[in-house]
Amino acid sequence: MTFDQLNSKMIEATVRPGQTLYCLRGAMLAYRGEVSFTPTSTGAQGVGGMIGRRLAGESVPLMKAEGDGRVMFGYAGRHVHLIEITGDTLHIEADRLMVFEDSLQQGTMFMGSQGGVRGMIRGQVTGQGLFTTTLTGRGWCAVLAHGGVIELPVQPGRSIHVDPQAYIAHRGQLDNRIGANVGWRDVIGRGSGEAFQLELSGTGTVYVQASEEKL
Amino acid sequence: MSGLGSGATVYDARSLPQDDNVNPYSFCVALDGEWFVQKGKMIAYYGRIKFEALGVGALDRLVTANFNSPLYIQDWIVAQGKGQLLLADRGFDVNSYDLEVGNLTIRAANLLAFQPGLDLKQSIVPGFVTLIGTGKFVAASNGAVHFVEPPIRVDPEALLGWADCPTPCHHFDTKYMRGALGMARRLTGLGGASGEEHQYDFVGTGTVLMQSSEISIDPNLIPAQTAQQNQPPGAQNIPGLPNLPGRLGRLLQ
Repeated sequence: MTFDQLNSKMIEATVRPGQTLYCLRGAMLAYRGEVSFTPTSTGAQGVGGMIGRRLAGESVPLMKAEGDGRVMFGYAGRHVHLIEITGDTLHIEADRLMVFEDSLQQGTMFMGSQGGVRGMIRGQVTGQGLFTTTLTGRGWCAVLAHGGVIELPVQPGRSIHVDPQAYIAHRGQLDNRIGANVGWRDVIGRGSGEAFQLELSGTGTVYVQASEEKL
Repeated sequence: MSGLGSGATVYDARSLPQDDNVNPYSFCVALDGEWFVQKGKMIAYYGRIKFEALGVGALDRLVTANFNSPLYIQDWIVAQGKGQLLLADRGFDVNSYDLEVGNLTIRAANLLAFQPGLDLKQSIVPGFVTLIGTGKFVAASNGAVHFVEPPIRVDPEALLGWADCPTPCHHFDTKYMRGALGMARRLTGLGGASGEEHQYDFVGTGTVLMQSSEISIDPNLIPAQTAQQNQPPGAQNIPGLPNLPGRLGRLLQ
């Protein structure tokens, strides 16, 4: 493992020659050794991926950290959570991704392909858009959250409801659909404020932040 | 006293922590005498405490002895008396540190209070002040403080301060601006900058203090700082001439 948690808002990652870390621009706090930071607009996907991500609105300014040393990362006083991906796929919003290893393939996924029309509605309602970023492969990534991160397991028959604003990421075989609980009270502005919930069912894990604040 | 989960702890003048953190975001000074406090950082106090602006005559003795920075004198007051003084800064993490015949340089906006046993002087790095001597001081940071040892390069915004090691130098890394692609990048502006071209480079032995975020506490609180203003009065920037302080600088104008 090359990622270490220093405190709730700071991590340290090792960069070795021949390896690349993709990180959010401006997230570097300090480093030892010889590390260089190069802005990249193609990310880990090449030019085609770049255009795809631009179109999908999942384009977040990234930079590459290369060289030989240890780099400390933190961003805007947000909490940082480390996630190890072991051959499965992590679905996450691009702007929540702070650092990830180049052993992970970054992709862009159309929400409609997971959950059909409801997935698209979900993207609209949560303000996450119609696309989401995926990370596949083996490696570590560091995820930003406002407040601490809670990992909630989902099992068949035990689906979970999540506030769309508190949702960060999910992994595994999960179906997500938006549950609209809109009544006449919401229409006249006397709703509970919890009209929309994200329902996730299947087998996997959901990551939720302890805040309703979007990044 | 109630513990976690049973509501907020209720403190009074006797049960308040003495010279210690009340919670991660506020600090209680057991005042008996004088402390220097940054303006606006007092949130409450018990006892008889007077707050006086610096440089108003009665405190000139203290100022000449301990507060050696005309640049920051407007931002500081002296708390005098006996009681419990609570300090906080907009929900940022607050910590206290002890110096023993030591020196520590810290970002001026992050320093909340210090004992008169310490001397405050302006650092030659703009926006920073140096504390010299023995005593306690209280500082705020955006996220927890992390201590590291040189050699290390730190983002200027994430740097909180340093102790015992030589003053840092600038490190610029624009390697990606070289070559044909770099030239295209420079000319067209395409590709942008990583925002990490500039660091403070620390070498030698000592301790470097970092905060967990690259958003510094309040850039507005740092008085308009340019190299020019950080010079002693009289020195001006003359194109083509090195900056010379004081009389020599004036002669060259």
